[in-house]
Amino acid sequence: MLINQLSVFIENKKGHLSKITKVLKDAQVDIRAISVFDSAEFGILRIVVDKPEVGAEALKKAGHVVKQSYVLAVDPSDKVGSLHDVFALLSENDVNIEYVYSFVMPNNQGSPLIILKADDQEKAIALLTASDFSLIPKEAVYNVQKG
Amino acid sequence: MKIWSDKEKLSRDELRKLQFKRLKKTLNHVYENVPYYHEKFKTAGVKPVDIRTLEDMRLLPLTTKEDLRKNYPFGLFAMPKNKIVRYHASSGTTGKPTVVGYTKHDMKVWREVIARIATMGGVTADDTAQITFGFGLFTGAFGLQQGLEKIGAGVIPMSAGNTQKQIMIMQDFQSTVLIGTPSYALHLAEAAQEMGIDPKEELFLKYGLFGGEGSTEEMRAKLNEAWGITATENYGMSELIGPGVSGECLAFKGMHINEDHFIAEIIDPETLEVLPEGEVGELVITPITKEGLPLIRYRTKDITRLDTTPCDCGRTSARMAKITGRTDDMLIIGGVNVFPSQIEGVLLGIKGIGSNYQIRVLKKGYLDRIEIDVEVVNQDLLVSVTLLDQLYKEIQSKLHTTLGIHAGIHLVEPKSLVRSEGKAKRVIDLRSENL
Repeated sequence: MLINQLSVFIENKKGHLSKITKVLKDAQVDIRAISVFDSAEFGILRIVVDKPEVGAEALKKAGHVVKQSYVLAVDPSDKVGSLHDVFALLSENDVNIEYVYSFVMPNNQGSPLIILKADDQEKAIALLTASDFSLIPKEAVYNVQKG
Repeated sequence: MKIWSDKEKLSRDELRKLQFKRLKKTLNHVYENVPYYHEKFKTAGVKPVDIRTLEDMRLLPLTTKEDLRKNYPFGLFAMPKNKIVRYHASSGTTGKPTVVGYTKHDMKVWREVIARIATMGGVTADDTAQITFGFGLFTGAFGLQQGLEKIGAGVIPMSAGNTQKQIMIMQDFQSTVLIGTPSYALHLAEAAQEMGIDPKEELFLKYGLFGGEGSTEEMRAKLNEAWGITATENYGMSELIGPGVSGECLAFKGMHINEDHFIAEIIDPETLEVLPEGEVGELVITPITKEGLPLIRYRTKDITRLDTTPCDCGRTSARMAKITGRTDDMLIIGGVNVFPSQIEGVLLGIKGIGSNYQIRVLKKGYLDRIEIDVEVVNQDLLVSVTLLDQLYKEIQSKLHTTLGIHAGIHLVEPKSLVRSEGKAKRVIDLRSENL
């Protein structure tokens, strides 16, 4: 149920994001989800792509520092309070969320999915599955049916 | 304007006679009591008796900071430890600072020379002086405090930092003299304005005695304008005595050297030959009234020139021009002396940096500033921005605690630093480019 995520160090300078997207574009790697966590001068770009190995290799070759790690993709269903239910469930069970960002998959009828990094990922998976939240398998994220 | 001591008005002839007498005494003292100097003189083939005139001084070997380091901590002391009443030290990376020691007599000399430079700068017994140098191992604060008390001025030992409180005390105690580095004095003036206090109207400062780092005429103008004071500069270094080697009078024609206590020479830093008066070169100083740590022909590495033409103030002592540079790569950051090699030493001790850093030395206004670019190469730091932040803070705090400097740290992408022949260039000095 875990999805590969690439973390890339970036300086907060003009043009640095496009340097990275250019590398991915040239390697024919498609970005599924993207987010930047930053301070005043630097940040960490986190992305979920269709071909994580290829993307990581290409970025490393271009001289970037890349870390591969694993995150969860959750479909909280599109209704009021559903995101709260996810967070409350994890927090009540002592699972901390380190960061979260959201994205939309074209074949998901516009309902937003969330990418989530918990301190105890296995426990998070168990809790969410037991409570009938749908976790999106990596194949579904990587191989989006466009259209 | 008052002149503190008659010794400052000796004719050049009388002064030279006195200098020679004191030099001979000092040479005999080190020759007999400092084995290292005894050997050094022997190697150079010279004995104190060979020095028959002041000009013969050039036969004596020079002393450098390296000699002090080799003899850490007390190897160059010429008096037993039980005669030393005060220690000071400069910063060092590996726990090896340069140590200096004073006997009771040396403390008396120190008070005397500070009393003179304070008087030169306009200070009298009626003044209240606020000292913003840090009280501690550095010589600046204690040196000024003792000399100011000797002339009868009131001393407020504020020490460094605590800017808002500095302004409050300055206002409430009605300080009339400000003492510190010129850069901190400018910073204080800005802080006062930010607090809604007009330094010229609502504070009582009349004079500023500045030292610890070089300054320019432009900086003096700024200080005078910002505070409504008359600013003077003074010069010294812990190896020689601390502050008190020389100071400016209100004629502003250079810093009067206390020549009955210090003999000044200018040498060519390459050939080490003594240069004729008026020529620019490296300042070499021999203290001739010290007991505890009398160094012979100490190379200051500071570049200046000497002028013995009469000064409007009535003092006959030689004046040294503002320091225009260094003959080594020492940097003065906010009054703290530091070598790039010391910064490297600290960086190499931090896990996760390796060789991927670059030290840039810049001029910001009139001040030296250090910026350090650190390449992020460790992918494990990408777990969170907090980890990157911690690295940044660790570098900053280690540099501050070890060397006493504040540096700007930038985390940069790998391989973004300038490399020459594939190797990262560690230190880039940009000071001459953006003057």
